[in-house]
Amino acid sequence: MVADSAGRGIERPGRRRGPALDRWAVLVVPLVVFLVVFFLAPLVTMSLRSVTDPPDAGVSNYTKFFDQAANLRVLANTFWIALLSTLTCLVIGYPFAYLMTIVPGRVAGLLLIAVLLPFWSSLLVRTFAWQVILRDTGIINSFLLGVGIVEEPVALIRTTLGVIVGMSHILLPFMVLPIYAVMRRIDPEFGRAAANLGASPWRAFVRVFVPLTLPGVFAGALLVFVLALGFYITPALLGGLRDQMISQLIVQEVQQALDWGSASAMAVLLMAITFAILFVASRVVHLRDVFGSALEE
Amino acid sequence: MRPWTRILAIAVVGLVAVACTTGGTGATSGPTTAGTSVPTVAPSGSAPTTSEACNPPRQDGVTLTFVSFGGAYQEAQRKAWLEPYTALTGVQFQNDENSSNATIKAQVEAGQVTWDVVDVGNDFGLEANAALLEELDYSIIPLDEVNQDLGPSKWRVPDITYGVVLAYNTEKTGGQVPAGWADFFDTTKFPGKRGMWDYSEGGIFEIALLADGVAPGDLYRGGQGLDLARATAKLDTIKDDFVFWGSGAQSQELIGSGEVAMTLIWNGRGWSAKHTDGKPVEMQWNQQIVTADYLVVPKGSPNKDAAMTFIAYTICAENNAKPSEYIPYGPTNINAQPAADKLADLSVSNADENSAYFDDEWLVNNFDAVDAAYKEWKTR
Repeated sequence: MVADSAGRGIERPGRRRGPALDRWAVLVVPLVVFLVVFFLAPLVTMSLRSVTDPPDAGVSNYTKFFDQAANLRVLANTFWIALLSTLTCLVIGYPFAYLMTIVPGRVAGLLLIAVLLPFWSSLLVRTFAWQVILRDTGIINSFLLGVGIVEEPVALIRTTLGVIVGMSHILLPFMVLPIYAVMRRIDPEFGRAAANLGASPWRAFVRVFVPLTLPGVFAGALLVFVLALGFYITPALLGGLRDQMISQLIVQEVQQALDWGSASAMAVLLMAITFAILFVASRVVHLRDVFGSALEE
Repeated sequence: MRPWTRILAIAVVGLVAVACTTGGTGATSGPTTAGTSVPTVAPSGSAPTTSEACNPPRQDGVTLTFVSFGGAYQEAQRKAWLEPYTALTGVQFQNDENSSNATIKAQVEAGQVTWDVVDVGNDFGLEANAALLEELDYSIIPLDEVNQDLGPSKWRVPDITYGVVLAYNTEKTGGQVPAGWADFFDTTKFPGKRGMWDYSEGGIFEIALLADGVAPGDLYRGGQGLDLARATAKLDTIKDDFVFWGSGAQSQELIGSGEVAMTLIWNGRGWSAKHTDGKPVEMQWNQQIVTADYLVVPKGSPNKDAAMTFIAYTICAENNAKPSEYIPYGPTNINAQPAADKLADLSVSNADENSAYFDDEWLVNNFDAVDAAYKEWKTR
C-alpha cells in the first residue's frame, strides 16, 4: 500500500471493494429463486412459444401480426394512449408534487396519503367506478340532463377521453412520487440565491427549480408510459372501438382464437418495444431515479 | 425518509405492475352454435334406455368438478341437475363459474386437468378440438333422443337450447316495437345506442346479414360461408352507436339501465333483466338465432367415467328439461317436457321459419378469416 505524507494508507486507484457479501446476503437467494421460477422461466417459455406454436412457426406469428393493418392501428393507438396518459399525469402531477413541498409537514403527509390511498384499492373496482360516473346513464350525464344543460347525454365513456381519465387516475401516484422525491431534495437556498441575483420568483422557478426537477420528471414519465403500454382493463371498459390497445388483442388471441403462438408473439413484441424505450431512456435519465434515489447528495 | 421512500417506491411499482397486468374480465366464449352440417354421430354398441341414464348407480366418495358460465344459468343447472344428482348418487360437486375454452386448453396441455364436466359454447367441441377432449360415452348417453339439428359430435352433446335475440328497453323505444334486425339498424326510427357481444362469431355478422335482407337459410351461402363484405358494409351504417359487452351480466345491465336502447342478448339474460331485475325489457323473437350449449369432458379428466354417467343423467328425458323450471332455456332431448310456466319464454317455442341457425362447422373452420374481418372493421 502506498502511504501519503501523513503516513496513512491510501488505496491504489482502480482497486474497488466489491459489495459486502456477508452472511446476510443469503437472505436474497429465496427472492432470486422466486423471481427466476415464477417470472423469468415463464417469460422464456412464452418467448419460445412465439416461435414454436404451431410447431413450424418460425417467425410466422410475427409476420402475421404485421400483415394485418388492424394490428398496426391498435399498436399505434397503444402508444398514443400511453403518451396522452403520461402528459395528463404530468400536467396534474407536477403541480401536486410541488404543492406537497411547500405546505407544512402534516399537510404534506395528508396529501401523500391522498395520492396513495386510491392506489391501494382494486384497479378493477376503480375502473368500474369510472364507468358508473362517466356513462350515458351515469352520474355526470344524469346531472347534466336533469339540470337541463344538455339535451343528449355527453359522450364521456367509450371515448379516448374516458380512457385517459381512467388511466391517469390510476397512474398518477407513479408520476407524483418520483417528482416529489426529487423536489424534496432541492435546496431552498438555490431559490434565495436566484432572488439575490435579481431573478423574479417566476424566473427563479423556471430557470432554476424546474431544471433541477427534470430527473424526477423523466423518471415519472418513463414509469407512467411503460405501465400505460400494458394496460388492459381500463381501455377495455372505458374505451371505444378505436381506443383498443394491444393487450386487448392479446386477450382475444388467448381466449377466443386459442392461438397462443400469436398471443405470445404479440406479448414478446410489446416487451421488446418496452425494453427499447427503456434503453433509449436510460441514456437520458438514471434509471435509479425511477426508484426514488433521486439526486445524490 | 430516504430508504423509506425507496422501499415504498419499489413496493408500489411491484404491486401496481402486478395489479395492472391482472384483470380478468375474460370475454366469455361464444355460446354454442347449432351445426346443421355436422355429421350425426352413431352411438356405439346398444342404444341406452332412458331409464338407465336416469338411474345412475350410487358413487359415494366421488367428487366431480362442474364448470359453467355462472350467474342465474349455473344456479339453474345446480338446482336442476347437480343437487338431485348428489341426493341420488352421493357424488359431490365442485363448482367453477368461469367456463373458458382457453382454460380447457391450458389444463390439457399442462397435463393438470381438474375440470370434469364443462358447459361450453357452440364454438367448441368439434373435430378441431378433438385433441383436447375425451370422446363421449354414447353407450350410456342417450344420443338417439337428442335433437340432431343441434349438432352433437363425438366430443360434445347439447344440454340446453337458447336464442340469440333482440332485446329492447321499452322506455327508450317509447312504445314502438322493433320488428326485427332491420329495426336494430334503424337509428332514425329508434334512436339510441345498440348493445352487441364483443365476439366475432357471436352473431354480429349474422344479424347484419339478416337485417340486410338475407334469408336465414342463405346466411352461409350453402357452405361458402358468411358474406363478410356485405355484413361489414351494413355494420358501418351504425358503427358509432355500438356498445360492446363481454359477459352476460354486462348485457343484462346495459339493456336494463337503458344505456342502450336495443341489444343482441341471450334470451335467458333478457328474461332475467325483466323478471329478476324488474327492468322494462322486452324481447323480439322474430329472426332469433337458435343455438345451444354443450357438455364436454376435457381429455385427461381424473373422473372420466363418473363424468360420463353424470352427463347421461342430464341428457335423459326426465331430467333434461329441469333447468327450464328456473331459467327459460330449453331441453335438447326430444322427449323431454319443459316446465309449463316457461314454455312461452323458450327459444324453441318461438322458433319459426324466420329463425336462423349458426353453422358451427363453418365458423370453427374459418375462425381466422371471420376474426380478421371483425378486427379490421372495428379498428378502421
